[in-house]
Amino acid sequence: MEARPVPSLQAHGITSGYGGVPVIRDVSIAVGPGEVVAIIGPNGAGKSTLLKSLVGILKLDTGTILLGDDDVSGRPPEELARRGVGYVPQVNDIFEPLTVLENLEMGGYLLSSAQVRARVGEVGDVFPQLPPMLRRRADKLSGGERKMLAIARVLMLDPKVLILDEPTANLSPKLADSLLREHVRRLAGLGKAVLLVEQRARAALQVADWTSVLVSGSVRLEGKPAELLQRQDFEELFLGAGTDLAASEETNMEET
Amino acid sequence: MDLYVAAFGFGLVGMSVIAIAAVGFTMQFGITNMINLAYGEVMISSAYVAYYVNKAGITIWVGMIAGALFGAVFSFLLNRFVYAPFQRKGTSHIGMVIVSLAVSLMIANLLLPIVGYYSVSYQDTTGGLLRAGGIVLTTNQIAIIGVAVVLMLLIHGLLRYTRLGKAMRATAANPTLARNCGIPTQRVIDSVWLITGALCGLAGVVAAMDSDSFAISNGAGFLITALAAAVLGGAGQPYGAMIGAVIIGMITELSAAAWAPEYKEVVAFGILVLVMVLRPQGLLSKRGALAAAG
Repeated sequence: MEARPVPSLQAHGITSGYGGVPVIRDVSIAVGPGEVVAIIGPNGAGKSTLLKSLVGILKLDTGTILLGDDDVSGRPPEELARRGVGYVPQVNDIFEPLTVLENLEMGGYLLSSAQVRARVGEVGDVFPQLPPMLRRRADKLSGGERKMLAIARVLMLDPKVLILDEPTANLSPKLADSLLREHVRRLAGLGKAVLLVEQRARAALQVADWTSVLVSGSVRLEGKPAELLQRQDFEELFLGAGTDLAASEETNMEET
Repeated sequence: MDLYVAAFGFGLVGMSVIAIAAVGFTMQFGITNMINLAYGEVMISSAYVAYYVNKAGITIWVGMIAGALFGAVFSFLLNRFVYAPFQRKGTSHIGMVIVSLAVSLMIANLLLPIVGYYSVSYQDTTGGLLRAGGIVLTTNQIAIIGVAVVLMLLIHGLLRYTRLGKAMRATAANPTLARNCGIPTQRVIDSVWLITGALCGLAGVVAAMDSDSFAISNGAGFLITALAAAVLGGAGQPYGAMIGAVIIGMITELSAAAWAPEYKEVVAFGILVLVMVLRPQGLLSKRGALAAAG
């Protein structure tokens, strides 16, 4: 059995939520270089809350977060960005009133002007659709272009860990598939640790190396996607939450 | 006709003064999400700082710099030690407005025993007269127009071309995302209070220069004029505030020529009310207003 890589980012027993009410409880998760870890689960499972806790937006009630060997629990988002954690939220993922180029410049805020210019070129190689639209205002972009910009913005700092919250939300099935298979997989191929929350469970399982199933704020199952798919309790967890894998896919397609 | 031409000249000066004040006010709101009702009192405090510098025999232009510096430091400290702690506690937006109103009253009442009730005026503020067509302005009034134009260009350059200005716009648009990019938003907000505080202080001095005399009671009037121009242009929108200043400044003076000087503010604010009814979001409405600057 192939061993998982040494984690770039790991959370141990974290509990957090809003206004003193925990949404996730005692969650542990890890992602290593070159690995795509998908977190799937029904709506309201606490997937986005988990990511916000990992990137310092939400305070932890308990637990620790390690970046490499360093304890970064409770560190603010700007410090985590500086230390190589890139985060693309599900919504409000770009600076809408700024141009595409300005969004990229803000993504590279910690770099020198020369470094920003160089990184804009390199990120343009990853997303060739972006360079022709550098002067366009970001709120004029289509859903797919917008998501590419959001990921490109994060790539400006060349992060070690990339945390993506439902990157395919509001995209057509074709675009979603292309984003996950081509871009997300390619980023892992570049050695980045990719932690992905995805509502399209089947699509996520196809690109992930490791999957955690979050239900009601707790990790209920985890393992390699192929192994999970063979487990009887896997789909039961979805069914128990009032949905199933196929329904989850259909719902997303209708939404797009 | 000559009267209207002359009024147009005064309108140019009036809108210059209002523009400096309104742009500072609207940037404060647009980036820090703070409706600072103490703005007028910081303006008048700065005007008094310039007055004491001027009274010591130093030219008012040095006094203006002193007023701007005072406004910058005072506004920065006001945010650091009064507003920011309340915001960190999660005080509601309306709660913050009330806090700023309380601060405004405190400044006015603390200042009163120091400066007194009586009106004062700067020495040597008129300069020579310059005539162009029917417009007659003093050299100092022309200098005020020049200062306003330079400041507006500098603000445009700051927001559009500098790293700090873009970070200000990013912070205005989405502060959480800005932090996720590694932008030190607290430092950006500190810079905003320093820059807008300097504009506030400078606006106080030029407003006082443009009046024959000024007193502690003028703070409220300064605030209302800046607020009106900012709201007319679209709250949080610097270019909107500039347009609002042009409209308020010009209408104020032209209505004085057409009707009676006593009612000029009534006319200006009547138009403001009309705009608010027809277009409550202001003239340059856009989501993420300040962020869109440039």
